[in-house]
Amino acid sequence: MNKRILLATTVALTTTGAAVLADEIRVLNWQGYGTDEDWAISAFTEATGHTVVHEYFNSEQEMLTKLRTNPGAYDVVLINAAFTPQAQAEGLIGPVDSSMVANFSDVPENLAANPDLNAGGALHGMPWTWGLTSFAVNTNEFNEMPTSIEVFWDTAHEGKVSIRDDALEAVQFAAIATGQDINDILDLDAIEAKLAELMPQIKTYWGSENDWNQFMAAGDLDVATFWSGSASRSMASGLPVQFIVPDEGAIGWLDGLSIPTSSTKKEAAHAFINWMIDPEFYVKWAESGAPASANAKAAAALPDDAFNKRVLGDPAVVARVQFQRPVSDENRERYLELWQGLKAAQ
Amino acid sequence: MKNTYLVWAGKVWLGLILFFLYAPIIVMAFMSFNASQYYQLPFDFSLKWYEKLGQNTEILNAATRSILIALATTVIATILGTAASLALFRFEFRGKRFLQVMLFPPIAIPWLITGTAMLIFFYGVGLGRGTPSVLIGHVALALPYVIVVVSARLATFDPTLEEAARSMGADSWTVTRRVTLPWIASGIIAGALFAFAVSFDQFVVSYFLSEPGDSTLPVLIYTSIRKGFTPEINAISTIIIVISMAVMLFAARFSNFGGER
Amino acid sequence: MSTVLARQNRLKIVSLLSPAYIWLTVAIFLPLSAMLYFSFLSDVPFGDAEWHYTSENYQAFFQTSTYATLLWKSIKLGLTVTVISVLVGFPCAYVLAKAIKGKSREALFLLVILPFWSNSLVRIFCWAIVLRGNGVLELGLNAILPFEVDVNLMFSTPAIVIGLVHSYLPYVILTSYLALQAIDDNLIDAARSMGANKLTILWRVILPLSLPGLLAGAVLIFVPVVGSFMEPRILGGRVGTYFGTVIEDQFVAVFNWPLGAALSFILLAVVLVILATASPALRRAQT
Repeated sequence: MNKRILLATTVALTTTGAAVLADEIRVLNWQGYGTDEDWAISAFTEATGHTVVHEYFNSEQEMLTKLRTNPGAYDVVLINAAFTPQAQAEGLIGPVDSSMVANFSDVPENLAANPDLNAGGALHGMPWTWGLTSFAVNTNEFNEMPTSIEVFWDTAHEGKVSIRDDALEAVQFAAIATGQDINDILDLDAIEAKLAELMPQIKTYWGSENDWNQFMAAGDLDVATFWSGSASRSMASGLPVQFIVPDEGAIGWLDGLSIPTSSTKKEAAHAFINWMIDPEFYVKWAESGAPASANAKAAAALPDDAFNKRVLGDPAVVARVQFQRPVSDENRERYLELWQGLKAAQ
Repeated sequence: MKNTYLVWAGKVWLGLILFFLYAPIIVMAFMSFNASQYYQLPFDFSLKWYEKLGQNTEILNAATRSILIALATTVIATILGTAASLALFRFEFRGKRFLQVMLFPPIAIPWLITGTAMLIFFYGVGLGRGTPSVLIGHVALALPYVIVVVSARLATFDPTLEEAARSMGADSWTVTRRVTLPWIASGIIAGALFAFAVSFDQFVVSYFLSEPGDSTLPVLIYTSIRKGFTPEINAISTIIIVISMAVMLFAARFSNFGGER
Repeated sequence: MSTVLARQNRLKIVSLLSPAYIWLTVAIFLPLSAMLYFSFLSDVPFGDAEWHYTSENYQAFFQTSTYATLLWKSIKLGLTVTVISVLVGFPCAYVLAKAIKGKSREALFLLVILPFWSNSLVRIFCWAIVLRGNGVLELGLNAILPFEVDVNLMFSTPAIVIGLVHSYLPYVILTSYLALQAIDDNLIDAARSMGANKLTILWRVILPLSLPGLLAGAVLIFVPVVGSFMEPRILGGRVGTYFGTVIEDQFVAVFNWPLGAALSFILLAVVLVILATASPALRRAQT
């Protein structure tokens, strides 16, 4: 409790003046992705006087569209690091002033200096969470956990396999399976062939965490690609699944919190970002399933058996991760064309 | 004898179709009483989703807002749509065919494109976001349905009836009120019901044009599928269906719209 | 007709039509025109993006077989769903209009439309619970039937068709009902007294008179089904890729509105051509 008071004072200090004038800030994020936890928002309002309103997006493209067409509507926005340079180049987001975010000092150098979050030569996205896109298996169907991504092509699981209906993710997944750099794919034909081979194995594509959980709960799937944060939530809710980071590696992603250029409540926005990367918030959030925190203190504060510490805290795992870099529009469209062609042939 | 047999078979058919139409609704209601968050079977009775719903002001507010917007949409779209149908039915004029064809783009073009188009356009003309924009969009999307349904009913109307009334000295408004409207009443009611359904299930416009924090129920449902919607959604849907069923059956009991023939 | 009357008529036409059509113009036609304009650009003119006029987006449709294949698949789906809905729904409407009288008819009429008042996404998820292996349908059948059956319709074309027929069936029932209810029973009795048999009555009296309603319903089903992507995606799984899916991808997965807009206008054009081709044949049938 002392910690809470201390925290409140820090926030009050970093937001001098703003505390007198309470603002309503608007946050643009995926639904159910941390910032809209009721207990966190009410504690934030209690400590700073600022109130928080949320709006949600369902794809990165939609998030960018909303920023472009609603200047002034948002004060904090969650942007995947692979999209931060684009948002910065379009002038949609402004720099984050790290001196106004007390917890920034606990963000390790490798994340704080991430080239994509530092697009345009200044910090444009506060490192917040990171995670992996790999796969999870239904533990009832496996005696021994697979260690290779080849399990997707194992005919023993024909008709019990799923990947997400997303061109980029499908292509990068196949890039890992064919031993390529996900950010510099040289042999697209090999990827097409590998995916074409995968298609007969697939029962359905999944679109959302909700789909995934329902398919797994109904026993429709043995093995499916999944996100680490979602996997920790599914496990926390009692589904018989285990997250696997295969020998071939996995896709890594990093999410940052940014402040739109058009925001008029930058003080409150910084205070909110600080609140969100605070260890106290993170530890409580992680109890119900969260991605890994970008704050070293927060990560260390997790109990030893926590998923994010156990799996993502393992240096051997981290060494196998390929972090996603921005993808050019050209490549994005090539991937989509490839993926649509494969889907249409079904 | 054979006739009664056919009538009997027809009623069974109607019953089967009603069962088909209500099958998922029944499942929806059942699952709102099932403890599993992932809709797992076997069934395990629980009221916990209703208890959670009672505390979930976000869903309750969104449901109220959706109902109010749908009611307003229904009233406006039904009046405007019926007026337009009357004109399209009564008069021959140049461009009539074109106006009829123009009813199809809003239905044919996937919602996502219409929604995005509205977002850019409303933003471009400075109308901005908020409940008025949402209402404008809902009415526009409901109008084609009202016009098509009311016109379908009007097509069965014998224009000589109007002429007869007119030749007896009735003015045009009286003719409409006393002759035409009673005839097409069931069409208007069907159109209104469709308009309500279109608005109540519509999330494109609401999604792009409502103020943050002011979302409607379909928007809430759509955005929550990423993380997963809980059976609370089933619970609120069940409550709404039960209430509307009660209201409708009550209305049917005291009205006479379908049976004047 | 005298010019005074003509002017009076014109005034009536304008005052009756303009509220609805002005509303449609502002909220739908103008926004869609903006989209139509975008479909001829190389990039969306936001910020300082470079763009020029081009017809490449329309050419793209012909450059790979993907789009044409999927469009054909969508049209087939639209026809299947429409035909099934008409065959299932018309008899249902007939019973409702002619075999049931009084208050119970009104109640049933309302009951047919009520499922529409639930959220479509929730309805589709409920179908998934019904159709999947070990789902409600399989459990239900096994409880009734003396032998074990294995029903897993989920992730197949039949599942998509079931879900879509469910979503759109009320349209054809209600529009047919509205037309059938208007047919004078005396007319049918007269035909019968002249010795016409049931089939002749159906074919020569009932069907022609109720055709406007039947057609309105069929169009209201066919048109949206061709562009659908949500139901196919959730119920169809691997086979659930349709033309609507690729349009959606252009907006959601990549920021290529011009191509997405071009594809949707191609869809609209094809739908209108189909309706236009069908209408003379149908009008002949009507007379």
